[in-house]
Amino acid sequence: MPRNITMIEAITEAMAQEMERDDRVFVMGEDIGLSGGVFKATAGLYDKFGEERVLDTPLAEGNIIASAIGASMVGLRPIAEIQFADFITPAMESLVQQASKIRYRSAGGYGCSLTVRICCGGGTGGGLYHSQENASWFVHEPGLKVVMPSTAYDAKGLLLAAIRDPNPVLYFEHKKLYRTAKGDVPDGDYTVPIGKAEIRRQGRDMTIVTYGYMTGLCLEAAEQMSKNGVDAEVIDLRTLSPLDKETVLDSVRKTSKCLVVHEDKRTLGIGGEISAIIAEEAFDDLDGPIVRITGPDIPAIPFAPPLEHAWMVNTEKIVAGMEKLAAY
Amino acid sequence: MASKSGRAVAELETEKSDNGRKNGNGRELMLGLYKMLVKCRMCDEKARILFRQGKYAGNFYSGVGQEAAEVGAAYSLREDDWIAPSHRDWTANIIKGAPLNLCFAQLFGKATSPDRGKSTPAHMGYPPIHTITPASSIAGQLAVGTGVAFGLKKLGRDTVVVSFFGDGATSLGGFHEALNFAGVHKLPIVYVCQNNLWAESVPLRLQTALKDLSDRAKAYGFPGISLDGNDVMAVYDAATRAIARARAGEGPTFLECKTYRWYGHSEIDPAKYRMKEEVEAWKKRDPLVLFEKVLRDKKLLTDESKADIAKEITQEINEAVEFAEQSPYPDASELADHIWAQE
Repeated sequence: MPRNITMIEAITEAMAQEMERDDRVFVMGEDIGLSGGVFKATAGLYDKFGEERVLDTPLAEGNIIASAIGASMVGLRPIAEIQFADFITPAMESLVQQASKIRYRSAGGYGCSLTVRICCGGGTGGGLYHSQENASWFVHEPGLKVVMPSTAYDAKGLLLAAIRDPNPVLYFEHKKLYRTAKGDVPDGDYTVPIGKAEIRRQGRDMTIVTYGYMTGLCLEAAEQMSKNGVDAEVIDLRTLSPLDKETVLDSVRKTSKCLVVHEDKRTLGIGGEISAIIAEEAFDDLDGPIVRITGPDIPAIPFAPPLEHAWMVNTEKIVAGMEKLAAY
Repeated sequence: MASKSGRAVAELETEKSDNGRKNGNGRELMLGLYKMLVKCRMCDEKARILFRQGKYAGNFYSGVGQEAAEVGAAYSLREDDWIAPSHRDWTANIIKGAPLNLCFAQLFGKATSPDRGKSTPAHMGYPPIHTITPASSIAGQLAVGTGVAFGLKKLGRDTVVVSFFGDGATSLGGFHEALNFAGVHKLPIVYVCQNNLWAESVPLRLQTALKDLSDRAKAYGFPGISLDGNDVMAVYDAATRAIARARAGEGPTFLECKTYRWYGHSEIDPAKYRMKEEVEAWKKRDPLVLFEKVLRDKKLLTDESKADIAKEITQEINEAVEFAEQSPYPDASELADHIWAQE
C-alpha cells in the first residue's frame, strides 16, 4: 500500500523493516542511537531494537567502517552511518584498502557485505565541512558500489538492495532531499536494482545525465526548455558504480547530444567519466560536444549565502548548458 | 624482562588447560612449542633463501629472531579462533595449521595459494583456519581484526582474535581507534605487539616517548603487559591467560613482546642503520637457543631428538617447495576474478 512519505521516512522504514526481517542486520554510527541521528534517519530504531542493534559509536569514522567490515566477515550485515560525507576521510583506509580489496586479495576467501549510509550535499548553508558530496572518490575504487537516490521510492528500494548486496555499498543521501523528496512509497518489501539507471523524462533532442538532488533540477530545466521546443531526455543514474552505461549510450544514440549535470566538483568527476564513455563508444552518434554543468573546481562550498549560491548548480545554469548544446 | 617460564611450566603441569587445542602436559607442550619454533625458523630461513635465489619476486619480511613471540602467542589458539597477521607474520599461518604446501605456494604467487596469487608473498591469509589475508597498510589489519572480534562478540561466540603488529603500528591513528573501541566493548581480542625496536629503519626512540608500549593499554582501559618476547614460555603463559580472559568475555589484553628481528625490514633492506653490536647482542638471545637450553636441562631434548626434528621439518619443507615450484601460475584470465561477490 503506497503512502506519500519523505525520503528520510523511506530510509528509516527500510532499515526498520530489514532489521525486523533479518536479525543479522544492525546499524552503527555517531549519534544514531539515543538521539536518532542528526537528521533523524534512525529515529525510533533504538527504542525498537535496543543498543545491541542500534549502536552509538566512538567518534572515529575509520573504526566505524573497520569494525563493520570485521563484523561482515563473520556473517553479519552492518549498516554503518557516516554523519557527513565531509568526515569520511578518516575512513579512507578502511573503505579503500580494506572494504574494496578484502575479497580480491583473498580470492573470494573473505567477503564484505557492508552498507555505508553517507549524508552529503550542499545548498543548506552547511559551509565547507557540512556540504561536500565526495562520491566520485569511491567510484574510482572497483570493489565498492556507489548509489545515490533521488526519490523517496528509490531511497527505500535502493537501501534494501544495498543491505542485501553481498558487496560493500556506499549509499549517499543528499540532505536537501531528506524532506523535500516526497512521493508514493509502498509499505511492503521491494528493491530497486543496483546498477540500473532510470529514465525520468523521455525526450528526443538531447540527453541529460544526472543523479541525486540534481535530478529534480534537471527535470525543471527540461520543462522550461520544452517551451522553447527542446525536448530533453533526463536520465537519473541512481547507481554511480557500476555505471549503467547502456542506458546512457542508448539514449545518446537516440538524441545525439549529451549534457552531464552534477553538484560535485568538476575535474575527474562523474561527468568526466560519462563524457569519456560517450566519446569512446558513441562518438559517431554525436552532433555536438558533450557539455558538463557541475560544481566548480573550488575546494568546498563556502558559507556566506551569495558564495554558496554561486557555487551550487541550479536550474538557470542547467538551462544555460541546454541552450548551448541546443545550438548545435 | 624477567622470565616467567619457570612458574608457567609448573602451573601448566598441574592445571589442565581448557584453552581449546590439546597441548598436553608440560612435557608435551614444551616439545610442541620447540618443534613449532624450529619449524617457523626453518621455513622463514628457507623463504629468504628462495627469494635470494630469485625463485620468487616481490619481497619477503623475515620474522627470524621473533619466533618466540609469535609461537607463544598463537600456539594455544583453538581451530575456530582468528589471527589478524601483519606483514612479518607469514609463519602465523603455519602455527595456526596451514599446510606448508600452501604457505610456499603463497611465496611463489601460484594458483594453488589461498589467494591464487593475488596478494604478495608474505601477506598470507587462509580462510579455513581464520587467518585474515593482510593488507600492507600498517594497522589497517589490526582495525579489521578488531572488527572481527566485534562481530564474534555480537554473534555470542566464545571465539577470540589474536592481532599481530609491530612497534611502528602503535603510532597510527587506526591503532588508537581500534583499541579504544575494543576497550569500550570488552572485545575478545589479544593485541600482540612484537616490539623489535625498529620500524623499518626508524628506531623506537623516534617512534615513541614510552619505555614500555604496554603503557598504551592504560588509555584504553584494559591490561597491558610487557614481557621478554624471546622467552617462549613467558609469552605462552601470558597469551594463554589473555586468551582465556578474552574468551570469558572480560575483554582485551595488550601484550608487548620485546624482541628483535635479525635481518632487515625486508629482503632488499641491508639494515645498515643498525649497530652491529646491537644485532650480535640480540642474536646471543636467540629464542630457539634459549628454549633449547631449558629443554636440555629438563632432559626433554637430546642431540639425536633435535636432529630428528630438523630432519622431519626439512623433508616437509622440501616437499612444499617442490609443490610450489611445480604449481602453475594463475592464468591471466583470472585478473578480474573476485572483485565482486555474485548475488
